[in-house]
Amino acid sequence: MTFSLNPLAARIRTARWSETFPPAVLLSFLIVALVLAWAVAPGLFTSHNPASGVPADKLLGPSAAHWFGTDHLGRDLYARVVYGTASSVTSAFIAVVIGLVVGGLMGLLAGFLGGWVDVVLARLVDVLLAIPNFLLAVIVVTALGFNTTNAAIATGVSAVAVFARVMRSEVIKTRQAAFVEASFLLGGSRWHILLRHVLPNASRSVLPLAVLRFGLSILVIASLAFLGYGDPPPASDWGLLISIGKDYLKWPWLVYAPAFVTIATVLSVNRISRWLRKTN
Amino acid sequence: MRNAYLVYAAKRIVQAVVVILLTYVFTFIVVSILPGDPVTNVLRNPQNGFSEEEIQAIIAAQGLDRPIPVQLWDALSGFVTGDLGLSMRSGRPVATMIAEVLPSTLILASMTLAFSLIIAGLIGYGSQALPRKYGQGIVRGIPSLFLSVPNFVIGLLLIHIFGFQFGLFRVIDPNSFWATFFASVTLATPISAQIAEVLVANLDNESRQEYAAVARARGLRQVRLFFLHLLKPSSLPVVTVIALMVGEVLGNALITETVFGRTGIGSLVQRSVSTQDLPVLQAIVSLAAVVFVVVNLIADLVYPLLDPRVKLVGAVRRPTTADEGSANIPSRVVTE
Repeated sequence: MTFSLNPLAARIRTARWSETFPPAVLLSFLIVALVLAWAVAPGLFTSHNPASGVPADKLLGPSAAHWFGTDHLGRDLYARVVYGTASSVTSAFIAVVIGLVVGGLMGLLAGFLGGWVDVVLARLVDVLLAIPNFLLAVIVVTALGFNTTNAAIATGVSAVAVFARVMRSEVIKTRQAAFVEASFLLGGSRWHILLRHVLPNASRSVLPLAVLRFGLSILVIASLAFLGYGDPPPASDWGLLISIGKDYLKWPWLVYAPAFVTIATVLSVNRISRWLRKTN
Repeated sequence: MRNAYLVYAAKRIVQAVVVILLTYVFTFIVVSILPGDPVTNVLRNPQNGFSEEEIQAIIAAQGLDRPIPVQLWDALSGFVTGDLGLSMRSGRPVATMIAEVLPSTLILASMTLAFSLIIAGLIGYGSQALPRKYGQGIVRGIPSLFLSVPNFVIGLLLIHIFGFQFGLFRVIDPNSFWATFFASVTLATPISAQIAEVLVANLDNESRQEYAAVARARGLRQVRLFFLHLLKPSSLPVVTVIALMVGEVLGNALITETVFGRTGIGSLVQRSVSTQDLPVLQAIVSLAAVVFVVVNLIADLVYPLLDPRVKLVGAVRRPTTADEGSANIPSRVVTE
């Protein structure tokens, strides 16, 4: 009996390529890749300056010259979206890393050690879950101060509980598996079992969760930016762009263009998460 | 059985009380110990224009000069006895401030719940009754679309279409029927999606059961099969999900009320955040936690009574063995 530690790789090797990657998943990967490219090298995708506009060109509709139109200061909206990507994507990434590391560690300790550690951590998770997710993010960002990094940290804190829960249940499930008992009997140390068996197995469901949370974090951070808890203008986070656009609803592309980018990104990320869960 | 239920109920109630108290302490620590020190941030902020005497008076009234643990103990015992303290900005009782805005949020929340159930029900029905290839595929995609749209975008979209283009309501009149209607629809979209996901999974599971096959073999039409047989067992687990969604409604109300310009709990949070009115924030967050914990407690207590298949193992709600493979009972993890 062999346990493949990486079922995804195994699946990709055996299945036909088009079965493993349905068109929707491929498209999702393409969109995410494009967004990441925007974040890394925004200058390659637009020649317009995101911070300074031409006042004469203000509030123009979408056109060949200005794909997403221009805002009230005559700035090219597409350039603003592209240049805002880095901040939106990085902060969502920070949030997921915080949730994953802190929550994962909590779940790992609770599930692996059990006993009073489990009880204490379980109550902490209950507390974190009892406060509405978005409200929790809001009070943490209030306590830390309003900027995008703190908004990311707050979003991460609000994700800790979910990661802890999933990690704990995965660890407990794995601990009871026959091959872990066998490893114990063969003289495997706790560390060995933790690193070689428990973590790789837990990652199977934690990885899709992390991807899912990445999409959700983009939404939460956009909401925080929308309420004005992120960096102030001239930053151009997606949520902030939509927030500015809402004062100009007569020129709806100011809302719809950045909203469309946000939705397409989150939808793609969620699709990838679902695909990861299935291939596992 | 009765006895097991009583033990289960008692343990759940004790646990709920502990969680509520711990949540209060946690919130207190977050708002008072982290860098945002209320005295320097709010009172000494020159924008607020408090004189030194006023500052001293507020510090004395709020007891801000005492050590943090003493403040915590005072606040906690006040909270337990129903005293939520005074606003740091206006000096008014926090309880009164909350009571003023509560009705508006309650209306919003109950309409949201109604819409969520209706939308989720429609999605659930569509997922079973529509033609398999195109109809079902589209309907089943709706929840993930709903969950990918920032909530405020839905609000802005509805305001733009129905407020500006069709002129159904005016933004300056947020309490009109249509404004409330669309605000609830906004709040309901992500909620309905999460309810629908669980509902569809359960409907799929039920429709694979033998009794459904028998009913089909007897020539029962899909409509009757859905309403007579599939809906009831599939909607039981939804009770748990709805209870979990209560927190989400309270949290998202903050955004929706801002977008639609409504006064309510959400806008009160927004105002207290921008003025750093910590007692108000502390009270609202703790009350939200109380509502969440109590609603979930009720759901957990009612559930075993509704579904006789649920066996209580060691005072924890577990599906019976026959049920185990079906993952009928959603875990309390919202996302999975």
